[in-house]
Amino acid sequence: MSETQSAPLAPTGNPKVSRRPPGALRTGWKKFSSNKLAVVGLIVLVFFVLVAALAPWLTPYKPDRIDMMFPNLKPGTGNHLLGTDELGRDIFARLLFSSRVSLLVGFSVAVATVMIGTFIGAVSGYFGGWADTIFMRLVDVMNSIPLLFLNILVLAIFDPKFIYMILILTFTGWMGVARLVRGSYLQLREMQYVEAAQAIGVSSWGIIIRHLLRNATAPIIVNATLMVGSAILSESALSYLGMGVQPPQTSWGQMLSNAQEFMLIDPLQAVYPGLCILIVVLAVNFIGDGLRDAMDPRKKAMMSPRRLDQWRKSFSKSKI
Amino acid sequence: MTEYLIRRTLQSVLVLFLISVVAFLLIHAAPGGPKSIMMSPRVSPEVAKIQERNLGLDQPVPIQYVKWLGNMLQGDLGNTFKNNIPVGEIMWPTVKNTLVLMAAAWIVSLIIAIPWGIYNSTREYGLSDQTASFISYIGFAMPSFWFGIILQEIFALKLGWLPLSDMYKLGNEGDIGDLLLHLIMPVSVLSLGFLASYMKYARSSMLEVLDQDYIRTARAKGLKERRVVFRHALRNALIPIITILGLDLPILVSGAALTERVFNWPGMGRLFVESAGQREYSMLMAITLVTALFVVVGNLVADILYAIVDPRVKLGKKGGVSA
Repeated sequence: MSETQSAPLAPTGNPKVSRRPPGALRTGWKKFSSNKLAVVGLIVLVFFVLVAALAPWLTPYKPDRIDMMFPNLKPGTGNHLLGTDELGRDIFARLLFSSRVSLLVGFSVAVATVMIGTFIGAVSGYFGGWADTIFMRLVDVMNSIPLLFLNILVLAIFDPKFIYMILILTFTGWMGVARLVRGSYLQLREMQYVEAAQAIGVSSWGIIIRHLLRNATAPIIVNATLMVGSAILSESALSYLGMGVQPPQTSWGQMLSNAQEFMLIDPLQAVYPGLCILIVVLAVNFIGDGLRDAMDPRKKAMMSPRRLDQWRKSFSKSKI
Repeated sequence: MTEYLIRRTLQSVLVLFLISVVAFLLIHAAPGGPKSIMMSPRVSPEVAKIQERNLGLDQPVPIQYVKWLGNMLQGDLGNTFKNNIPVGEIMWPTVKNTLVLMAAAWIVSLIIAIPWGIYNSTREYGLSDQTASFISYIGFAMPSFWFGIILQEIFALKLGWLPLSDMYKLGNEGDIGDLLLHLIMPVSVLSLGFLASYMKYARSSMLEVLDQDYIRTARAKGLKERRVVFRHALRNALIPIITILGLDLPILVSGAALTERVFNWPGMGRLFVESAGQREYSMLMAITLVTALFVVVGNLVADILYAIVDPRVKLGKKGGVSA
């Protein structure tokens, strides 16, 4: 039985030809994985997440254990892979445990800002009117304040606690997402399916959540990824200035401010934490770029000529 | 134009007003209220009462705010809590130092970024373009203060070419050459981030303009590529950059604060961080307002310049350029 006859009658006959087009996830992954930098970024990020999760098992030392018998050991002395700092704390252990703080701040702030920003953007984009005016003025005001100063001010007034840092970074980070979501909602609310949904009596919130949110997810996810990076940078800056993570907790930013004080004794101490921040943020930004390309429907997946031929063979109906 | 000017100025005043309200309310939302910040916990209750009256803390919050705002507008920024010195006396010199640092960084990043971005737009994906995009990736992902520390370790400690920190060598105050030498590292740190973003903007804005019909016309009538790029395209490509300069001001101010801390630069940002550590409430408020004023006025100037330079901007319409 030739394929030309069977195809229209029994589409399930040929196992190579599936009726459904490949799903969004699969095409997305295909496009994402063709971007080498993004894949490297993903691997690096997964590595750091694993390190953060397994930190207590990767080193015999506690990050806050002070050992005044052995301060300022050189890298590789004894069991101390990267040596010890001026209080005899193991630098490698501190690096490992700091990754927990950075990733925790990065991800939680990203999730929280995206939730707040999406809500505000959706409301002002869909409803417009006075809600829009108020929210967008608020965005303007927030954007014209040097946010580092606001963060420091708030943390100075309410004590630099970890949870306050996450909250204040959230409250000063949602503007970008809000603008973005508002923009796409402004466009999407004019679509015909919205009109159809309104006609059959779907409530405004139903439309906002069920119909519009899905179509606005791509830019939101990309923005969330980039927010992780900027939150990690903000956390390190605040901790460096002494307004973020407080001892005995440790973070890369805090380690850097420590390292600067003892620069003359051990210049290498300043290198590791900064390098970690740079690598993680770079990885996250690469992933963000990869996701942007993967979720952009105008960008086609890269396909090798051989695969393209195969695809033509199995999908072409005319058999020319 | 006049109408636009008036409306835009009023908007700026409103923004400043809102910022002052927020800053004021923040202090009142503090655990224990402003008393815990402004008054020593060691005094007896009777003295505390008198102090409270002297500071005006027994009055309702709105009245306190109006009084405080009135004092601010008359230039009375209050006294420091610790030594009872007028805040302005300490703050204004640091504002000057910060402006020196920011202006230098700004000029350096513009001088490098704009020509480089334009060059890259004419040779897309060439070696120079790839280098630029590599730099911008690093510039966006690197903590600027770390870059500063590394520069210090290399050029000040290891090689000894540049001074480690501060603005002048001791006893050398006012010496321009010494100032320039001290500026090199902070300016490199501060301008790296801006270099990356300005370069990207210059490149994309130029690419957009180069794609337009009148450029094709210019080329079609046989003009040299140089002339097309520099006389026809450049003028229009530079216009959007004015807005970016305005929008980036808050980031510049924040970045300056970090840089000042790294290089011990006697500026406003360093003073702010120190005051935050000591809970110098009046100082924090004063610096917050001065930076807000600086940023808002900067944005206003950028918007007005934009309107003057670009005749296509419709001024009469509701919402204006900023919407």
